[in-house]
Amino acid sequence: EERRRVLSEVTVADMATEPGINMEATIDARENPFEPYLDALKKVLEDQDPIFMIGIVVSLAVVVITVVFLKYILSRKTVQSAVLLVGLCDSGKTLLFSRLLSGKFKKTQTSITDSSAPYKAKNERGSSWILIDLPGHDSLRPQYVEKFKSAARAMVFVVDSAIFQKEVRDVAEFLYFLLTDSVVSRNVPSLIVACNKQDITMAKSAKLIRQQLEKEMNTLRVTRSAALSAQDGSAGASVHLGKKGKDFEFSQLPMKVEFLECSARGSKGEDGEADIASLEKSLALL
Amino acid sequence: MLDFFTIFSKGGIVLWCFQGTGVTESFTGPVNALIRSVILQERSGNNSYSHDALSLKYKLDNEFELVFVVGFQKILTLTYVDKFIDDVQLHFRDRYKNELEQKGALALLNSHFAFEDDFKMLLREAEESSKARGPTSMRSFNASLKSQKTVKSMIETKGGDKGKEQGGKKNKNAKKEGKAPAAEPVKGEKAKAPTSAQKTEENGNQGLTQEEIIQKKREEFIRKRMGAPVEKPSKSPKPVKEKPKGKEKRVWTLGGSSTKELDYSQSNGNGAHAAGDQGLDAQADPVCACWGAFGGMFGMLKGLVGSKSLSQEDMEPVLDKMRDHLIAKNVAAEIASQLCDSVAKKLEGKVMGTFTTVASTVKGALQDSLVQILQPKRRVDILRDVLEARSQRRPFVITFCGVNGVGKSTNLAKISFWLIENGFTVLIAACDTFRAGAVEQLRTHQRRLNSLHPPQDHGGRPIVQLYEKGYGKDAAGIAMEAIAYARNQAFDVVLVDTAGRMQDNTPLMTALAKLIAVNMPDLVLFVGEALVGNEAVDQLVKFNQALADHSMSDKPRLIDGIVLTKFDTIDDKVGAAISMTYITGQPIVFVGTGQTYNDLRSLNARAVVGALMKA
Repeated sequence: EERRRVLSEVTVADMATEPGINMEATIDARENPFEPYLDALKKVLEDQDPIFMIGIVVSLAVVVITVVFLKYILSRKTVQSAVLLVGLCDSGKTLLFSRLLSGKFKKTQTSITDSSAPYKAKNERGSSWILIDLPGHDSLRPQYVEKFKSAARAMVFVVDSAIFQKEVRDVAEFLYFLLTDSVVSRNVPSLIVACNKQDITMAKSAKLIRQQLEKEMNTLRVTRSAALSAQDGSAGASVHLGKKGKDFEFSQLPMKVEFLECSARGSKGEDGEADIASLEKSLALL
Repeated sequence: MLDFFTIFSKGGIVLWCFQGTGVTESFTGPVNALIRSVILQERSGNNSYSHDALSLKYKLDNEFELVFVVGFQKILTLTYVDKFIDDVQLHFRDRYKNELEQKGALALLNSHFAFEDDFKMLLREAEESSKARGPTSMRSFNASLKSQKTVKSMIETKGGDKGKEQGGKKNKNAKKEGKAPAAEPVKGEKAKAPTSAQKTEENGNQGLTQEEIIQKKREEFIRKRMGAPVEKPSKSPKPVKEKPKGKEKRVWTLGGSSTKELDYSQSNGNGAHAAGDQGLDAQADPVCACWGAFGGMFGMLKGLVGSKSLSQEDMEPVLDKMRDHLIAKNVAAEIASQLCDSVAKKLEGKVMGTFTTVASTVKGALQDSLVQILQPKRRVDILRDVLEARSQRRPFVITFCGVNGVGKSTNLAKISFWLIENGFTVLIAACDTFRAGAVEQLRTHQRRLNSLHPPQDHGGRPIVQLYEKGYGKDAAGIAMEAIAYARNQAFDVVLVDTAGRMQDNTPLMTALAKLIAVNMPDLVLFVGEALVGNEAVDQLVKFNQALADHSMSDKPRLIDGIVLTKFDTIDDKVGAAISMTYITGQPIVFVGTGQTYNDLRSLNARAVVGALMKA
């Protein structure tokens, strides 16, 4: 460091005393240490075949372009471009999927894997995104939600309105699991709760389902936070839903929540149209 | 005669279905039951399943993600069904290859699969082929050998009548030898000819001249050189006297002359290398050696890149290794093999992507199946259920059962600690009236828990109470009284501790089944230790069997959940968790990791599977 200081002093002193000639001298002096290297480099480069040089330059350019391209593509994947159809087993997700995409009635069985297809929304922009139907069976649900949750820009939670009373605790638990997931609470996808099977006479209305779910989630907040931690020490979700101290309401959530009624089967049975107008409207607003 | 036949995608859309004439019930229910109990519980090793009166057979097509299911009445035994499903699958695939190959579900939704004619034709063919092989008709008496024996020859007498016997046999054998041409390879039934030829030699030596003896021996020798026939153990009575003279050298089918059949070197050739080597082996010899090495490398690379569909042979070595790995991690042996069969069924015919090896695909599939098995099939939230029971003004009853020494009383105390931490009042019913000190142990736990949560905090009432009636009494009676007491005193939870019993001990198993059937607890927990190996399968099967047999109702109460104890003693040999959940299909509700009150955990499926698959 001392040497450097001395050197800089010397150069400054030189510049100060004899500005004109010594500037050039110092410039030369500064260039000089690099000169031999530059000359050597120039010589090496000239010795090589020009085609070889062009080859190297082209390959470097290709590499750079590929890297930029990949980055662009990878970053595009994490952009949420999918709408997930989730719900309990037998709530009508696969039939809803078929109706939304093709309008046809199809017989369905319990899904074992996911199905996805591009969907064209019915709005002026004609935006299209991917609609994904996830299996609802209890042993498959967590894995598939895990796989697709980061790509979700909205979730359609399908509820079987006819047997809702019996299943209210299971529905609430799944909804709680979705809402307290760390990725979901970070991305905040909008939530549409579709109360399906309205064609059955005993079906509950969307308003009633909303009230019952709010009550149930209230209780679940208490029991879930008191649940045991896992055996490897990892605790459950630490996200607290809604406001502390007050009863849980869906309006307290950071995401947009909407309850609507629909019927995938339609009131006229298999050959008729499905009653999914309100669902399509909501999907168009996404 | 089929009730129904469906073809649906794994995503749940039914592509085509057929319902037999006169069948009114929808098949959706049985097929859903098939999916839930077999495919989702990884029991797809054997491909048939019975549901009520129907028997269902299915086949998975993993390349296009389809499932083919056929259903027929259980009482019918249709022999053509297996081959029929295979034929239908191949036909369907070939015909609709274009629609099926497209990715995404739109193609499946929009196309209409008009498969009826093909299906009817295939069904007709299958039915006819099964009819063509009619029942084999029995041979008539005249065609059998017995009709050719004389009555006298069948009479066994000791000593004197040997001459008559031998005479009779000589006649029979002379007839047979006349029929058997010496040059033909000897067939099975004519294998008797040489043996009987020997016997003629033995028996009829006295009667024949030297030339005839030599002639016979020559014919025998030729016959033996021709076919090396299998010596059938002769059923006709042999005179004991002649045995040492006539003892012939036994000829084995694989023995003696050639060692060609013992050379197994061809069948063990590498599949991956064969493709590369075959083309390159044609080269000149000096080049052959080093090209052979290159060929091996190319073969490996060829296996990595490009789409290749998985076959049973490809997966065999990987699955064997995985099976041994699972067994080394303390998974029960038959469970490990059933799991591997199920994974093989799931992956057969699947097309692998680029840069994926067989091993990685199989390991991924196995990992997914294991996580799926460990995921609970119903909601597991005991606190919520206790709150529900409280709102209905009745106590929530949990019963603990298991073999001796697994930690029932210890884990009962831990669970009651967890419950009282969350503000519930607990009544412990001491239904272990056999083991010395069982009641005192529970009393000590009760005292400690009460000192941790003194009654002053809960309105003067002790938060844990013990209901006991000493030793030697009937456990079911004590449990019933305890539950009635809890209902009167408005306790939230009743924990019933039972005596440990071996699964083979029938009277004790009957007593346990009676306790559970009479008291109808809300939750029956089986306590099993994580150290158990293959025994877990036996214990759980026999416990469930006993509970099902001795219950009077249509829907017997079986084991609802599992408590896995002593989890801190196993390092990463966590296979017992898999064995237990696979056998019962019930979730692991609690995991015990020590002896203090805080050592109670819940199961994290991913962590357990990670520890299991770790090398």
